[in-house]
Amino acid sequence: MADIGKVRIRVPSTIKKGDVVRVKSIVTHPMEIVERDKQGKPIEKKYNYIYMIIVSYNGKEIAQFETTQSISQNPYLSFAFKPDKPGQLKITYLDTKGGKYEGTQEIAF
Amino acid sequence: MDPNGSSFIFSRRAFLRGAGALGVISVAGSIGLRLPPAAWAQKAPGAPVPEEKVEETLKRLFGNRPLKDGAGKVKLETPLIAENGAVVPLSVEAKLPMTPANYAKHIYLIADKNRRPMTARFTLTPDSGEAFVGANIRLGATTDVRAVVEMSDGTLYQVKNHVKVTVGGCGG
Repeated sequence: MADIGKVRIRVPSTIKKGDVVRVKSIVTHPMEIVERDKQGKPIEKKYNYIYMIIVSYNGKEIAQFETTQSISQNPYLSFAFKPDKPGQLKITYLDTKGGKYEGTQEIAF
Repeated sequence: MDPNGSSFIFSRRAFLRGAGALGVISVAGSIGLRLPPAAWAQKAPGAPVPEEKVEETLKRLFGNRPLKDGAGKVKLETPLIAENGAVVPLSVEAKLPMTPANYAKHIYLIADKNRRPMTARFTLTPDSGEAFVGANIRLGATTDVRAVVEMSDGTLYQVKNHVKVTVGGCGG
């Protein structure tokens, strides 16, 4: 997957002050699942999957999501937040191979 | 329990540092934060986590605290039949207060029949505005899916949905 780590974020087109905004985001990532040998024993190796997603707004952390291999490939995530003033929403994805993928979205009223 | 939000930092460091963070975990544990036991934290992220039954998962996460019925407060939306277990969209929406005094702090997604039932833990703050999350998860077989909402005062609400899975999505 050439686009690994590509983050897309979608927010409603109009946001008013005081609104609770629902954000949708998706990141391109294989989210490798545990492989098994012929006996069905899990193969001990490092699997590459996103284990942490951090959401911040204007630099302040507002939510944090711990994910596992039970999350689908190309993880889709939606959540809500309540912006008090215009600013920048940032979503950071961390994977187990040290990858760090960021997506940002400007929020204007 | 943790009014300044410091557990955020603790739990993240614990995950990042793995074995080196055992000291941090014991400190965090003493202030009432629930973290995976040492066996989990010792492994670097990426190594397969041990398989377990859902009862063990619940015990590990919540100890013996009662799980209240969340019907009417927590809404878990799942498909009745998931044709492809690799991508099962679901969402959790809770009508619970989101004030700094008391808010929905964690939302756990647990799939009973998965080899590792613990699927995701969402940590919210009062800035979230409402307790809402959605995600696509993998289901290995027809199973109950639970959403457990943990309030910042420690109250736990659980809702359960049954999802029929036509083709499992966990590979091996």
